[in-house]
Amino acid sequence: MATRQITYLEAVREAMSLEMRENEDVFILGEDIGVYGGAFGVTRGMIEEFGPERVRNTPISEAAIAGAAIGAALTGMRPILELQFSDFITIAMDQMVNQAAKTRYMFGGKGKVPMVLRTPAGSGTGAAAQHSQSLEAWMAHIPGLKVVQPATAYDVKGLLKAAMDDDNPVIFYEHKLLYKTTGDVPEESYKIELGKADIKRSGTDVTIVATAIMVHKALEAAAELEKDGISVEVIDPRTLVPLDTDTIIQSVKKTGRLIVVHEAVKRGGFGGEIVSVIAESEAFDYLDAPIKRLGGKDVPIPYNPKLEKAAIPQVPDIVEAVKETVKNR
Amino acid sequence: MAKEIFMPKLSSTMAVGTLLQWFKEEGETVEIGEPLFEIMTDKINIEVEAYDDGVLLKKYVDVDTEVPVNHIVGYIGAKGEAVPANSPGIAGGETDVREQAESVSIQQELSHNHIQTEEKPRATPAARQMARTNKLDLVFINGSGPNGRIHKKDVLLQLEDNTKATPLAKKIAAAAQVDLNTVAGSGAQGKIVKADILSALPAKSMESEPVLESMEIRKKMSGIRKVIAERMAQSAYTAPHVTLTTEADMIKVKELRTSLLPVVEKQTGLRLSFTDIIIKAAGTALSRHPHVNASVVGDEIVQYREINIGLAVAVPDGLMVPVIKDVSSKGLTAVTMAAKDIGQRARENKLLPEQLKGSTFTISNLGMYAVDAFTPIINQPESAILGVGRIQDKPVAINNSLEIRPMMTLSLSFDHRAIDGAPAAAFLTELKQILENPYELLA
Repeated sequence: MATRQITYLEAVREAMSLEMRENEDVFILGEDIGVYGGAFGVTRGMIEEFGPERVRNTPISEAAIAGAAIGAALTGMRPILELQFSDFITIAMDQMVNQAAKTRYMFGGKGKVPMVLRTPAGSGTGAAAQHSQSLEAWMAHIPGLKVVQPATAYDVKGLLKAAMDDDNPVIFYEHKLLYKTTGDVPEESYKIELGKADIKRSGTDVTIVATAIMVHKALEAAAELEKDGISVEVIDPRTLVPLDTDTIIQSVKKTGRLIVVHEAVKRGGFGGEIVSVIAESEAFDYLDAPIKRLGGKDVPIPYNPKLEKAAIPQVPDIVEAVKETVKNR
Repeated sequence: MAKEIFMPKLSSTMAVGTLLQWFKEEGETVEIGEPLFEIMTDKINIEVEAYDDGVLLKKYVDVDTEVPVNHIVGYIGAKGEAVPANSPGIAGGETDVREQAESVSIQQELSHNHIQTEEKPRATPAARQMARTNKLDLVFINGSGPNGRIHKKDVLLQLEDNTKATPLAKKIAAAAQVDLNTVAGSGAQGKIVKADILSALPAKSMESEPVLESMEIRKKMSGIRKVIAERMAQSAYTAPHVTLTTEADMIKVKELRTSLLPVVEKQTGLRLSFTDIIIKAAGTALSRHPHVNASVVGDEIVQYREINIGLAVAVPDGLMVPVIKDVSSKGLTAVTMAAKDIGQRARENKLLPEQLKGSTFTISNLGMYAVDAFTPIINQPESAILGVGRIQDKPVAINNSLEIRPMMTLSLSFDHRAIDGAPAAAFLTELKQILENPYELLA
């Protein structure tokens, strides 16, 4: 496969464009996604290729966008909706939680909801408390919704293709700060099965399960810790629902230590779920240190850039947590 | 697969047993039901039979060694089958640390932080698993983590360290200041085990205090002796004892016995004894005074429907009280048979555990000695005990004339918490009257 470096953002756009060329039923809708190219420029240029019928601007109503997408999906279309900020899912919550997630089940399988809700999440852009949250645990809690959190350009393309193929509603969280990161991405179409974690780095002393941007911070920490002779394994679940528990369990069995890192507020975060998986699994007997969770501070994301940074785990925090955890190695 | 042979638990209170002898050698064939070894518990000596056919592959425990209940003492299996070089410890994996600690007497003398605080050792799941797999007791591992938490590496260290001496041996050696380098190990690959340290101990003290050693013979109280010591002291301390005495004229008992002797002997081949008649008489008296056939349990008095009379029997190491069950429904012949059976078994150390359980009243007969009266100590949880003295011809005033009569003293000790003086006296009077008119026992 021909591989070149493109950005995470370009990988999102490429996945959508490839899918739209292959499948006429695929269309995208959202606020200002047409000529303007979307809040972050993800859909820039797409209206030229696919026209306003398939790249549809919508009114400023997330509930309406989600509702329209669900209706279209039920008629056999495969909509991709873009919400400008993942925080606005709250407005589309009734549609996503009470309709999208349950329709197929309540119709006894007679109606499918093959839609993807794409939305940028996370902090780091100085967009303050209403535009910087990480609310993925909310969606992961709802049966019927799949939740994807890609960390690399390669994963974005493969996972988005798989999400668009799925006959169920998928929430696809893109991290704002990752949009400009680049990575090796094949030109061809490929898919990454939902529910398959990726071991981003192999190690023997401690397992870090990290999501989204924290994958990169964990990798940075791991490189630093290597100098101290500490071998860190970094696992990126890539999808929270379905969750690849097996890969995590096997890794913890190998290392005997676990640290979970996510940007979302620690309390009630998805890290608790991962920890519980380990506590309930055969890996429990292999634990040689208490499990640690690193998550966002218990505050709304601050506007002040320094405070914003302080509110979420950073590389030194991860390094410190690892050192604490492997102390009795 | 080789089957474990372990120290059986023969009563609810049994924590340890002493292995007295092996009946088989390693390599010998064993059949189900064959006696394999003999043990002494706090109550009895008993032969343990094989539960499996096969070859005795391994004996881990030497004679006269005290081992905890369920401790693996050996293996039976197919010839040539591999078994561990050392006993894997308690059968069934997990060991209750405290129970085991209590059972190994030497450990009680040693101060150990973990045991003293009775805290479960803090350990990571991985450390626990590793300790479990290697049959290591976490109590003996020093944790390097916060608050002494034991990590996998601590268990690994212990395992490496363990090549020379067992953890217990190390503890004892440390407490007794024995240099492990001076002790030869008798375990697998020369590993030093508890016995090695213990055998090194007397030699050490002989050197330091030879004079004192030669002037005394010291024997550690163990097994039945220890239990008797504890029980007697406990009974004397907890139950307020009052002893009543009276004399019974045994002339009619003597007549009865003389006439019944050939009858009973013909039926059973056994000789009717005075003790048998006294047991039966006591049973009859108890049935008329059921408040004596009782126990103090917590803040309740429990009165028993069945009359089970314990008979104190002297054995070489001490005293046992086997039980004749349901005396009131037994005739003299049946009582004789039961009493002879338990007496014989007691002397031959063949009492079954159930024959030592459930007595509601005890008789202690010292009539074969020059003893007239004594104050017996109640065999708790019972509430009364009857002491029987010798039958001695004495001058007795009867109808204004002096006669020589075979008199016997009865001493009744009772627990004043449960029984008051008057009802106890009424019971003793009843018993005296029955013995003086024993033909009613035949009714």
